[in-house]
Amino acid sequence: MSCPKCVALSRRSLLVGGGVAAASLTIGMAEARVLPKDMVPLVGPGYRPTEKDEQGIWQLMDRAEEEISGSNLLIQDPKLTGYLRDLIGKVGGPAARDFRIYLAHIPDFNAMMFPTGFAVVFSGLLLRMRNEAQLAGVIAHESGHFLRRHMIRSWRDERRKTDIFAVAAMAAGVGGAAGGVYLGDYVQLAQLGTILSLFQYSRAMEAEADAIGAKNLAAAGYQPMEMSTIWEQLIGEEDASARYRRKHRRRGSLFDTHPSDQSRMVDLRADAAEVTEAGKTYEIGRERYLSMIAPIRSMLLDDQVKLNDPGASQYLIETLAKDGWNGQLRFYEGEVWRLRNRHGDDARAALSYAAAVAYPDAPADAWRWHGISLMKAGRTAEAKSAFTRYLTMKPDAADAAWVRQAIG
Amino acid sequence: MRNWVVTVTAALLLSACVQTRQYADLQFTPPEGDYKLLVLRPDVSVGSLTTGGMVEPRADWTEQARTNIIAAVRAQQAQRGGKLQILERRNQLTGASEQEVADFERLFYAVGNSIVLHKYLGDYLPTKRGKGLEYTLGEDAVRLGQKTGYDYALFLHAEDEVASGGRIALGVLGAAGCIVGFCAPNIGGATQLDYAGLVDLKTGEVVWFNVVQASSQVPGIAFGDLRTPAGATQMADRLLNRMKPGLAIRRAAEVEKP
Repeated sequence: MSCPKCVALSRRSLLVGGGVAAASLTIGMAEARVLPKDMVPLVGPGYRPTEKDEQGIWQLMDRAEEEISGSNLLIQDPKLTGYLRDLIGKVGGPAARDFRIYLAHIPDFNAMMFPTGFAVVFSGLLLRMRNEAQLAGVIAHESGHFLRRHMIRSWRDERRKTDIFAVAAMAAGVGGAAGGVYLGDYVQLAQLGTILSLFQYSRAMEAEADAIGAKNLAAAGYQPMEMSTIWEQLIGEEDASARYRRKHRRRGSLFDTHPSDQSRMVDLRADAAEVTEAGKTYEIGRERYLSMIAPIRSMLLDDQVKLNDPGASQYLIETLAKDGWNGQLRFYEGEVWRLRNRHGDDARAALSYAAAVAYPDAPADAWRWHGISLMKAGRTAEAKSAFTRYLTMKPDAADAAWVRQAIG
Repeated sequence: MRNWVVTVTAALLLSACVQTRQYADLQFTPPEGDYKLLVLRPDVSVGSLTTGGMVEPRADWTEQARTNIIAAVRAQQAQRGGKLQILERRNQLTGASEQEVADFERLFYAVGNSIVLHKYLGDYLPTKRGKGLEYTLGEDAVRLGQKTGYDYALFLHAEDEVASGGRIALGVLGAAGCIVGFCAPNIGGATQLDYAGLVDLKTGEVVWFNVVQASSQVPGIAFGDLRTPAGATQMADRLLNRMKPGLAIRRAAEVEKP
């Protein structure tokens, strides 16, 4: 009898070795850039599914849309939703008129396209976008998923691969038993390979959506380079968030559904160069974008600073301030420090509030917190005048009685 | 040789099963005679179980099943004597808006999930022990009853996975493997999960809840296929026809017996 452990060891090393081989193969092959010029839309206007599997998914998704469109998480402001609809109408390619787009009040960086052609944009996305070109870029990417029929293609891919795996595993079991060989390790390896190739397919589709998105964005007259800038901003935000928590930003792995932020940023830069025509001018649309989100921007900032992620919040505010500081941004900068509440943060917050009230657009709460900071510093007279200003701006504030008493 | 025949036969027999378990409010009496029942749009989905074990939703089968279930419930309730309306769309209810019906459905969905979690899936709550079914949809349900004039609201959910040809073939291969000593006939086949909840619109309480789970480990063994009228009738029968009164009522009935 040879030692059974040796067999087990060799099996394990086979598995590990095979896994690494499969993994390196995946990395080597999946990350080739998808070229925007190769990305033609696979659906025309008014597309309806004709095959059974896709019809089934559409029926399910129609139910999902019924629930989502009536959800109380949606921001229903007709001006904002109309704006989003106009944007998808510009960058949505041949299906532009078929899309529906919903705005959900969720303070995260996300947007998604459903297989039937309705998109959901999270409010956290609107906070992070610095101009119309960036927002249109995200919407163009999401539209790309529909135009390239990604949902049904990945569903069919998954079905095919799991079918093959199931049959192969069963055949290996039965065949192996008949031949007196144990093939269980190969089956496990094949399972890992199947799973990895599913994620690879998913990443390839994200790369396609980026490429067709850049193409449609430029065709609509927006600066395509802004799509790459979004990822630069996101990398910066994640780095800042991780640094504050003394961690490292997550890098890509084999089990990611999306390509890494870094590779998307680099690929999108190349995409932008490819789709840019010499002599044509491309729009950024910062003023229009800022005026559109102005009514909800303080809500967006308020959601963000309350996420208890001071690293990310500070980075975001500083990024937005690259387009110019104002009273609103200074006030929320102060809020980040105040809520973080480490040693010395109260003094930093006080400086931000003091800076905020120097701007004509300072919110009432900036005056309130400016007053409280002054009071703490013993500058009572100045504090009282700040409180007076607060009450003038917000006479029916919930804490008006307390503030009046403080003024004396 | 005889051994594996016995094993396979036993495996086939044991591997298809139907489970049902109902809970009721302690004071619940099944509605009889002259009552008005509102059946909310049945939440039905039928899909095909692929060779690899994924569920592929099928629009045509789902529509067929929904039609069959509605017909089966209508026929069944007609025997009990109640007046009934089955909603096929949310905007069909006189006296309540589409949005109100949607809100009512979502509220039940949330409460129903809690019931399934705490009564069926093992996360039992000590505070609810021995109390039968103690859940309510609250004032909104009472208001809906007042506005529409119904006594009860019934929610129905049915999901059915039909084993595809490929899945059945795979099961056959697995069973054939028993001959050579690799026995895997029970890879999982058709599965059906149905549940129903009855809400008393006078009090807002969920007074009765039932779950039917039918599954076969061996692909190819079918039971109560919802795509056929017979299967839907069987489902309505298993799910709704054996409504038991609440515990307090049953105990009182036992005491009355000599």
